[in-house]
Amino acid sequence: MNRRLSKLLQAARPTTEAAADSPLASDLAGLLTHEDADRARDRWKVTRARGAGRRSKALSMSWVLWLLVGPGVLVFLGENDAPSMLSYSATGARFGIGFFLPFVVITFAMGLVVQEMTVRLGAVTHRGHAELIFDRFGKFWGFFSLGDLVLGNFLTLVTEFIGIRAGLGFFGIRPGVAVGASLLVVFAAITTGRYWTWERITLGLAAFNALFVPAALFAHPNWHEVTHALLTWTPLPRGNSMDILILLLADIGATVTPWMIFFQQSAVVDKGMQPRDIRAGRVDTLLGALLATIFGIAAILATAPLFHHGIDASQFQAAQFAEALEPWIGRAGAALFALGIFEAGIVAAIAISTSSAYAFGEVLGTGHSLNRPLRDAWPFYSILLGSAAAAAALVLIPRAPLEFIVLIVNVVAVLAMPPALAFLMLLVNDRDVMGDNVNGLWANVAAITVTVLLIVAGVGFGVATVFPHWLKL
Amino acid sequence: MNPADARPERIENDAYSAAPGIDDPQAVLSVLEADQIVAAKQRMHFGRRKLSRGVSILLWGMRVYVVIMMVLLVISAIRGIHSAP
Repeated sequence: MNRRLSKLLQAARPTTEAAADSPLASDLAGLLTHEDADRARDRWKVTRARGAGRRSKALSMSWVLWLLVGPGVLVFLGENDAPSMLSYSATGARFGIGFFLPFVVITFAMGLVVQEMTVRLGAVTHRGHAELIFDRFGKFWGFFSLGDLVLGNFLTLVTEFIGIRAGLGFFGIRPGVAVGASLLVVFAAITTGRYWTWERITLGLAAFNALFVPAALFAHPNWHEVTHALLTWTPLPRGNSMDILILLLADIGATVTPWMIFFQQSAVVDKGMQPRDIRAGRVDTLLGALLATIFGIAAILATAPLFHHGIDASQFQAAQFAEALEPWIGRAGAALFALGIFEAGIVAAIAISTSSAYAFGEVLGTGHSLNRPLRDAWPFYSILLGSAAAAAALVLIPRAPLEFIVLIVNVVAVLAMPPALAFLMLLVNDRDVMGDNVNGLWANVAAITVTVLLIVAGVGFGVATVFPHWLKL
Repeated sequence: MNPADARPERIENDAYSAAPGIDDPQAVLSVLEADQIVAAKQRMHFGRRKLSRGVSILLWGMRVYVVIMMVLLVISAIRGIHSAP
């Protein structure tokens, strides 16, 4: 260990000083790793793009944005995962076009408020979320937080593989082949040993979330009805109140979840973003939220014909939506829908297993970067692949309680979210950590509003569970 | 304006026209912040914050909330499975 360096480095603090201008420069120069060099290469491209602004501002801005887009789009399209798209599908099939369309827009606005804070935290501190919680709140609270994440992530990963199996099952592909091939894709994405390459491959896959748009167009939605619903929040859903409440919670859990916080902050750090990139990070996050909103609404529109034709979708699982839709949106539309569910599952499987691996790596203090080669950071990659493989294996076990997991996964996300938001808000308001980038008044008002809404939704669910007859009044 | 936005990065002055590599430490150090270097991060941590009574109550309240809600969720899911046709 470099003694002089250890003496100089006492406690972390928010800084924007270039390493070359630091008094530690000569010590750090001898301790650089390939991870640093890879990250520097990504930063070098960004600074070159900014430098191009002297020739053409528009070109420079577009280039910078292209280089910095990634974590925000990935986190939102990753969260448009198999259980989320199935929640939207169930919403469209059971309640048609109405209240839930603007409700989904609001839930994504909530997600945007939360995720913007993770961009700032990552860019300013260069630390992942788990690492910061352990640093600032200690192991006791750190392990609670990590426990919530691990439980939620594993259950969600299982549902991703259920979606993968069901999506490819529509085309007659056997479960073992579908799940095994998907695991290979997850593995292939990480063998590059470069964050940038991993991010671009995953973004390329995530683009197929757009398949829900043509599937919706095949359903020939009534655009007047869609506009009316978006503007008036009507017609209101009717039927079993507990079912409506569960769908409300599932749709909220489809946009705000703990893994998103951990993933985006760690991805921002791995990408090497700095405080001066926060504006671009916000654009990235906004773009992700917009795309995810459009694709989520498209899933509702695609399955609305089932509601209009009185098809009972209350017990539908993944592939059954595609099969049931075939008479109304045709074979091509149904195939697009099934492919969309498969895509949603595989992109989320990559993102969520990476989120678990980042968190464990940060806590264990081992290498936790996609810029590290496999042999150099094998614990990080083992957790990433191991969590995905365990979830995949569970899906293939006969009589595994998959129905139970599908039922609870999005609700678990909603219920685990308030504590995650509490840690996030405490960190982002901590001047010792954030310096001048602490939350402003309106950011705090928005974040507290989101937290209160989530708690109200959770308590509503709790009351309805304990006193189910109240909902029947 | 955020001071970070005002700081011109060396590379914008064409100090390095080739992509930085591990064999050129100065180029690497010129585009990364000191706090971004892995060796520095491993040795430098944000210390523990002192939890006020209010923060402790908030964190414990959230923990109790999650435990109660998870129990209710399991009850609800089991009911749901048993009531399914």
